[in-house]
Amino acid sequence: MPSRMCYAPSVDIRFYTVIKLLRIGDDPHYDAMEVPGLSEEEKDKALIVFDYIYHAMRAKPVLEEVSIQAREVAPPVEYRTGCDLAVEVDATDVDAAENILIEKGVMILDILFMPKGAKMIPVYLTTLIKTVDYGDYVMVRCGNMKITYQKGSGVIVNISGGGCPDIPYLGMQLYGTVIGQGPRPRSLGRTICAYTLEHAYEKALGIYKKETSKRGR
Amino acid sequence: MLLLVGTIPMEGLPITFGKVHYQPDKLTIGDYALEGKYVMLGTAAMISAASAACQAAGIEEPYAAVIGDIGMGDGTIKLLKYLTEEIVKTPPSVMTLHYILPTRDPFTNLINAAHSIPNRPFLITDAGALLNAKAVKFSQKFDLFTPDPGELSFLADPDAAHPAYVQHFIFNVDQTEVPKLSQEAYDNGDAPRYMLVKAPIDHVIVEGKVVSVIKEPNVPELEPIGGTGDTITGVVSALISGGMDVAEACAAACKINRTAGELAKPNPATTIAQFIPFIPEAVKKVLNK
Repeated sequence: MPSRMCYAPSVDIRFYTVIKLLRIGDDPHYDAMEVPGLSEEEKDKALIVFDYIYHAMRAKPVLEEVSIQAREVAPPVEYRTGCDLAVEVDATDVDAAENILIEKGVMILDILFMPKGAKMIPVYLTTLIKTVDYGDYVMVRCGNMKITYQKGSGVIVNISGGGCPDIPYLGMQLYGTVIGQGPRPRSLGRTICAYTLEHAYEKALGIYKKETSKRGR
Repeated sequence: MLLLVGTIPMEGLPITFGKVHYQPDKLTIGDYALEGKYVMLGTAAMISAASAACQAAGIEEPYAAVIGDIGMGDGTIKLLKYLTEEIVKTPPSVMTLHYILPTRDPFTNLINAAHSIPNRPFLITDAGALLNAKAVKFSQKFDLFTPDPGELSFLADPDAAHPAYVQHFIFNVDQTEVPKLSQEAYDNGDAPRYMLVKAPIDHVIVEGKVVSVIKEPNVPELEPIGGTGDTITGVVSALISGGMDVAEACAAACKINRTAGELAKPNPATTIAQFIPFIPEAVKKVLNK
């Protein structure tokens, strides 16, 4: 079972200090009550952190399947090694989120309760996409990851970027497969680089589908 | 002795240490041979390029320490622990760290062990090891980073834990962004003395300042090919281990990679395995051997 901790940042969450391990049930402040009329910023938030990115990457889709809103963010400094991802949820959803994640085999390291207004660093990937047309090929870059496929056939011919051990592994599994028909980075990857590659893959798949439907008309 | 360190995407491969020899489609590390698809990816591409460059330049071929790891980090941790003990017994003159899963203690213990050696190894890092070095605030314990523009953006952003969290990401490298970000990264303590920024226009940086820019030959088709950054890291490691001045080696490695690209006449579907065999000829051409 994950532990549950209360964090109290002084000014900004990136510079907080751990006060004390605090069981949620011992603190009335964290009673799970829905307060009508509160904006997103005013709500109490909880941060779910993971030992392995492999589990972190699976968390958001699992939560969204049961209509729990989740946002992928950078974990606090103390939890960082260089390849990290955490998931932020409303504090009121913590019990439900924990239950569904455990039920689905997503291993949680800790749950941290954040004060109102705590600003976590979001993943900026959706703003980091660029597409390059090489004539017979299309390269989609998302952040530090690139995927290239052949127009027409949709065959993935190259993957570039990243630095974690699963990227060469993903290369071996994805090269030569048709985009949208073979394994996906999210299902095989275990790192943020793989997670980033998933965004590039998704964008490339969208472009390929458009291209295919145009040809079909 | 040049020691190249990283993971191979192969489950169950134990710690494998030994002298390296590359020939097209086959990379031998000690008694172990990697063949076919395993030669073309990540650390294997970097090691192959280093070996090819050493052979062409008449430099002693490198040693490598590798292990299987497909992203869970189990292999990474074993390898780093093994090297922490071994590095003090047989210290290399140059050590390059490459594809590893970022960790905290195993990584910092290895770098501290390297620093405990009198006349310590020259430390180069790229890929996961570069992300790791910045995340644990060890950048200035290294001598050379070989980032691409995305990794440079990450180094220059003091709050970013990974390139995925960078707020200001550069796609189009120009003469303004790279010098600015390099200086910022260095001033923040997140860059070592030397950096080789691998991009459509390559930059060699010393103490945060640009000392050379390499633009030619320009082969745009190299960008989508996975591994062309890894080969630069391998070649520059080889040249530095051969005694070349660091900044000169960085510039030469960029020219060699570009020249190999020109010789290979690639398209975006070219694999790094098809590219590496052109490195020896490029080395000879650039170094006038």
